[in-house]
Amino acid sequence: MTKILFTDKLHNCVEKWQSAGLTVIGPVQKANSSSYATVKNAGELDFNMVLPDRSIKELFFPQTEPILHYSIKKQEINTRESLPPNEPRIIFGARACDASGLAIDDPLFGWDYKDEYWFQRRNESVIVTIACTKADDFCMCTSLTLAPDSTKGSDVLLRPLENNKGWQVEELTERGREAFAKIADFLQESSEPAAPLAVVEEKFDLDSCVAWLKNPENFDSKFWKEISMRCIGCASCTFLCPTCHCFDIQDEGDTYSGIRRKNWDSCSFSLFTMHTSGHNPRSTQSARWRQRIMHKFNYFPGKFSVNSCSGCGRCSRQCPVDMGITETLQEISKLSQ
Amino acid sequence: MSEPFEPKIVAFVCTYCTYAGADLAGTSRLKYAPNVRTIRLPCTGRISPMFILKALQKGADGVLVSGCHPGDCHFTHGNYHARRRWMVFRSLLDFIGIPPERVKYSWISAAEGVKFAELINSVTEDIRKLGPFDQYKELIEETEAEATH
Amino acid sequence: MITQEQYRTRVKELLSSGTVKMVIGYKPGSTPDRRRPLFIRTAEEANRLVLDSACITNLSGYLVTEGLLSDEKKVAIFLRPEGIRSINILAAESQLNADQIIILGFDSTGSVVKTLDGTHAGDFSELLGSIKQNSPVKPSEVLFEQVEQMTPAERFAFWQEEFSRCIKCYACRQACPMCYCRRCIVDSNQPQWVNTSSHTLGNFEWNIVRAFHLAGRCVECGNCGRACPVNIPLRLINRRMAQEVIEAFDHFPGLNQTQEPVLASFKKDDSETFIL
Repeated sequence: MTKILFTDKLHNCVEKWQSAGLTVIGPVQKANSSSYATVKNAGELDFNMVLPDRSIKELFFPQTEPILHYSIKKQEINTRESLPPNEPRIIFGARACDASGLAIDDPLFGWDYKDEYWFQRRNESVIVTIACTKADDFCMCTSLTLAPDSTKGSDVLLRPLENNKGWQVEELTERGREAFAKIADFLQESSEPAAPLAVVEEKFDLDSCVAWLKNPENFDSKFWKEISMRCIGCASCTFLCPTCHCFDIQDEGDTYSGIRRKNWDSCSFSLFTMHTSGHNPRSTQSARWRQRIMHKFNYFPGKFSVNSCSGCGRCSRQCPVDMGITETLQEISKLSQ
Repeated sequence: MSEPFEPKIVAFVCTYCTYAGADLAGTSRLKYAPNVRTIRLPCTGRISPMFILKALQKGADGVLVSGCHPGDCHFTHGNYHARRRWMVFRSLLDFIGIPPERVKYSWISAAEGVKFAELINSVTEDIRKLGPFDQYKELIEETEAEATH
Repeated sequence: MITQEQYRTRVKELLSSGTVKMVIGYKPGSTPDRRRPLFIRTAEEANRLVLDSACITNLSGYLVTEGLLSDEKKVAIFLRPEGIRSINILAAESQLNADQIIILGFDSTGSVVKTLDGTHAGDFSELLGSIKQNSPVKPSEVLFEQVEQMTPAERFAFWQEEFSRCIKCYACRQACPMCYCRRCIVDSNQPQWVNTSSHTLGNFEWNIVRAFHLAGRCVECGNCGRACPVNIPLRLINRRMAQEVIEAFDHFPGLNQTQEPVLASFKKDDSETFIL
């Protein structure tokens, strides 16, 4: 016997959470594009997609947000910090790759300066992950030592039932238990079997890739130029990535008043590393693509002992020229054999 | 009773004709609506569509663009180039949902002080009737808001 | 398949004879319906090329890659008619020398691919002329019609919804063969003309500026819309602009290399009905 949340009770659960002051967020399909968005009722949630087009990171690290308002008068300068409001929320129906992505970024946002924006939202969010029963050609969590039912970064894991009428509930953290205690009335003990998990084939051998990347000789390999020749230098891969975390600080306003904002930035842009002098240490697109791969599988794990990739596959799925981490690591796998 | 709505209008004008026309209106002691903020540029050819957009973005309810009559351009054909640009830009704004009535174009020569005063009055009246550009202002407010979830 | 074989043979000839230093074409992608851009330099690699109806991306943007054509050697490239029009515009705007470009022209109806006769951009002028003649003045797309029928306030709301999703990844810009500026206006920061923030206000600004810079230059290849990771229907705006320049100035971008850019030229009797 396991604890089951039946789909027909989801309406009640959403209402219950909302009346308990939680904002309910989940996968929503809207106008030809999908993302994790706030919903008014359970009917808006869409669990049929493999995963939303946009990753979960924007709920914790939005594409743009104000951090400081300033105004300057003759004799005085006023500044006011802008922090996210306290707003407890539950993200219902995250994917394992997205939830893992958050856990991967936690050490990054806290190792030196503790990023209040990130951690306030992290601390206020309950993440309820639904294990995947289907995958597409681009999913690659298994190649990153993760799985369709990884619990990393999640507070609760739900396994879809075989009859598609609900989910088996596995509470993983205290926060998850608290949130599900609120809806205890709507949960049932039952022995319905879980549906088989999505089969995600292993696409490359991660260890050999990492070994190749760590070899300093390969930094200047002509491989980088070949693999990235068709890269057009947009930021679609980095912006959709659940673990890419680079940002830029911009002042919007004038001499007298304005807002300092924190905006997503991307290592794919040539401007990312452009010096004021005009010199650009990463002057070619191949150097920029190499940086992205090296950062994810060499520098980041060197510092935080975890690869900065959770295998969602969005970079390849959405690339305008059909590039991505999968292809690059597959090619590296071949080279390292 | 609430105050009547006073639109904010930004006028981008060329220095050789319309600005001189505005000057003439002033020296002729013609009275016209005070709703227009005039920005003087060397030529209508120098008026980038970005200026129009920027004005709206800073909260203008209407924009007026004005320069020399065709054939009168100090730089011989700056206004011809501008005319084509406006033609296309106008339809772009319309397609995006920015009502073309909010962006007006005119030719006013240095001798047309009266036309300038009358135009400012009629443009102000037109924009007043349209009311504030609330849809755009909503977007502006959104950018000024505090951090949200 | 016949067309593909024909072109593989042609590519082998071009490379082995040293006529071209590189061929830009397509190869299979990560799924059966995807094709990837391919760059080859030797005749042996020609068999990696594929050519079928799934080859959609307009590859001409790669030609303006920094330094590619500066040695004055020739490059061959697979192009659909829209791509050939892009070459004409790039040449008209002095971005490349069309004599350096060997065109492997093709087009497709359904799944059937056919070759287009000609080697240089100039050889296709008759074809492009007939495309202009036959191009529909009124577009057929339902969504376009719907947007046209809306009131300005509804249209604003429609685009507000669409642009609110924009993340400013600039995939539309990077995928566009016409967006070759070394420094895009959004990257110019003294002054910062376009907000870098991707709030909806900034997204309106970016998308309007993008569309306007492409007015009269866009060949409607669709690269931008396909590249958009959040599926904003950019094609609608491009369509509207294309319609405007042909109606107002009888301008069909990319007809030939001597065509004057429509917004950098004028006629004394251009329409001015909207000017007070």
